[in-house]
Amino acid sequence: MGNQAGGVEEINQAAGERLQDRKVILVTGVGGYWGWRVAEALCANESDHIIGLDAEAPLEHIKSLDFIQADIRNPLLVELLRFEQVDTVCHLAFQETTRPSEAAFEYNVIGTMKVLDACAEAGVRKIILKSSTAVYGARPGNSAFLTEDHPLMGSRLYGTTRDLVEIEASCSGFRTQEPQTMLTSLRFANIIGPNAATPLTRFLQEPCAPILLGFDPLMQIIHEDDVIDAIVFAVERDFSGVFNLAAEGPLPLSKLIGLAGKICIPVIHWFAYWGSGILGNRAPVTRYLPIEPDYLRYSWVGDLAKMHETMEFVPRYTAEEALRELAGLHRIGRFSLESTSLALDEERLRDTIERRRRIRKQQTTKLTELGENQANE
Amino acid sequence: MSDQDNRLRCSAITRRGTPCNNYPLQGSEYCRVHLPLDAGSITSPETGKIGEAGENAPPDIVGETLDANLRQQLIRELDSLIERVRAMTPGYSPPPFSPRRLLELIRENLENFSPELRLGILEKLRNSVGEDLFDIDTWKGIWYILNYSLDSQRDFLRRRIRGEFETDEWGFDLEVLEAVKPFMDFMYYKYWRVQTIGLENIPESGRALLIVNHSGQLPWDGAMLGTAVYNEHPTQRLVRTLYASWFPTVPFFSALFTKLGQALGTEDNAKRLLEQEQLVAVFPEGIKGAGKLFKDRYRLARFSRGGFIRMALLTKTPIIPVSIVGAEEIYISLAKSSMIAKLIGFPFFPITITWPWLGPLGFVPLPTKWYIDIGEPIAMDGYGDDAASNLVLVSQLTDQVRNEIQEMIFTRLAQRRSIFTG
Repeated sequence: MGNQAGGVEEINQAAGERLQDRKVILVTGVGGYWGWRVAEALCANESDHIIGLDAEAPLEHIKSLDFIQADIRNPLLVELLRFEQVDTVCHLAFQETTRPSEAAFEYNVIGTMKVLDACAEAGVRKIILKSSTAVYGARPGNSAFLTEDHPLMGSRLYGTTRDLVEIEASCSGFRTQEPQTMLTSLRFANIIGPNAATPLTRFLQEPCAPILLGFDPLMQIIHEDDVIDAIVFAVERDFSGVFNLAAEGPLPLSKLIGLAGKICIPVIHWFAYWGSGILGNRAPVTRYLPIEPDYLRYSWVGDLAKMHETMEFVPRYTAEEALRELAGLHRIGRFSLESTSLALDEERLRDTIERRRRIRKQQTTKLTELGENQANE
Repeated sequence: MSDQDNRLRCSAITRRGTPCNNYPLQGSEYCRVHLPLDAGSITSPETGKIGEAGENAPPDIVGETLDANLRQQLIRELDSLIERVRAMTPGYSPPPFSPRRLLELIRENLENFSPELRLGILEKLRNSVGEDLFDIDTWKGIWYILNYSLDSQRDFLRRRIRGEFETDEWGFDLEVLEAVKPFMDFMYYKYWRVQTIGLENIPESGRALLIVNHSGQLPWDGAMLGTAVYNEHPTQRLVRTLYASWFPTVPFFSALFTKLGQALGTEDNAKRLLEQEQLVAVFPEGIKGAGKLFKDRYRLARFSRGGFIRMALLTKTPIIPVSIVGAEEIYISLAKSSMIAKLIGFPFFPITITWPWLGPLGFVPLPTKWYIDIGEPIAMDGYGDDAASNLVLVSQLTDQVRNEIQEMIFTRLAQRRSIFTG
């Protein structure tokens, strides 16, 4: 690479050449955890050009990521998609909220609709969305295994689920309107892992986890690494439609909590619902319980036949492995050494310095160009 | 006969005294239930005279002031007892809970007991000189049993809390089934003296759909049918009963039904279970059947819209009609209150001669005599592939099955002399 000697023009030229024959993948929401992880995983494949789009910079710098700072609702998104000749869009910009909030709804639902419309307009070939099996809703009449065409009856009490249901509903409309665009929704079960902040990891944070007395629904989980793998898998291969994704084998909630090394605290279910009848979204339960009481009461297990047969995706972690790993990390957490985080810090700082050096070099060359232009005038 | 019949059976004796019917685990001559015996026999080669353990009841303490002389005498006796035990078992290193250790322990801790207790212990010891209390095997037996049952219970609890137990994808948990089984066996053999006829009509393996008449306010009939097949069928099959969507909303029923391997009655569940070659039971009368009034007993309610026939046609599953007689009389339901039912969210609210007047006692069913008749299978594979969408055929078959079950009920009723003795 002509990073040190050749100057910016050479880089740009080389980049321009490479852009011709490289698949361009745009990842939205790289400022968030999922966008960042997926962008990082996609960047490992050198033959693709990865563009990151978000209003905020990624948590950590990714070397070969082409980051563009813009909001997904920007009306010029169509221009960007057209200009960059984007092939695939991974739409991972999503604001998770417990309580339904208008701002989050605006960003999640309206934002997604704008992204979808822009993609259709710009002729993007494939769109990948990250969704959740929570959109089916936890209901007493649920079959033991919910197929992908089960009606979306997700709860409207929790913001994230409500927004996902709205997004999925607009997606099915999009599929019929724009059949030439491949739209893949990946509905993940409860995501669990050492770094991800999801309702289930928040639920398992404390030493005790509340369950509803006399209820022990079957739960499905998936490891965060498998989530990233599945999204990358969907980018690399083409499948259209909706897929449930989870680790093999649903397990009872009590077993899940036990394997995660926590203790079940049974609560009478009336108390868990306390206030939600009158107060709705403002009920105290939404503040204290990261998973809605209904989702701890009835099972909402997705049928994985389509994942196995059509998608042929095999999660690396089984449910038990993922939970044991989490339990181990929680146990180690108490004894974690400062030195490991310091080592990480050092690496991060080295990256930052390198990045700043590059930016400064670009700026100086620009300045000299500007100076030359002015001199010419 | 299939090869399954030639397989060895577990060599343990069940609690009822009959040979165990289960298949042994690999590498063992005991089944899953009786495996502990196997493990126990490895650690204790001779655990004789276990039965006599019960005779050594805790000492009956009499409030009596302690004479110092008597105490001295008792302590001397205790010392000689220790010597005798030691002499009886030369070169024997006692387990932690042996007579020698016990006596030494008593000697050490005698001062800490209250005078009454001290006297009681010593007198008990004196009385049992010459009895089998000092037979070392008795103590060994007691020790192993106590130790083993404590260990297994501690282990069971620990595994439950740590989540180290196995369930299948429907949530069926064999340990929970084994825990509930003694109670179900009591209801089956002692309380209702259920007589099951025609178990040979249930195939040893492969899918089958049991169509059963529903009655008796609470799902006792489903429980008894499951117990009958689990206990008396040669391959000990698990009946997967499809239950109404009201049960998942009820605490404890929700968890218990799932853990016993039952599933919610939806078409998806039925199809999946049958495709997995399971034995599925359906109560097509549903809530209408369970909530039948006493005056309507043994008259089948309307069968639901024939969903079960469609399922059977779709999966080419043989239908086995089953009639249960006796369950109709366990609660004498005089009326139903739809207002209370709506108020508390129940599908129906029965008013029987005991409920709700006697409170929880109203749940106690009457000890009637039950008969479970299992009819001959009706093959469903001769109707072609699109038969499931043929509404006329579906309704014809529904009526056929319904009439057959009604016929079976009447045949049994004609033979029955008394509700309680059969």
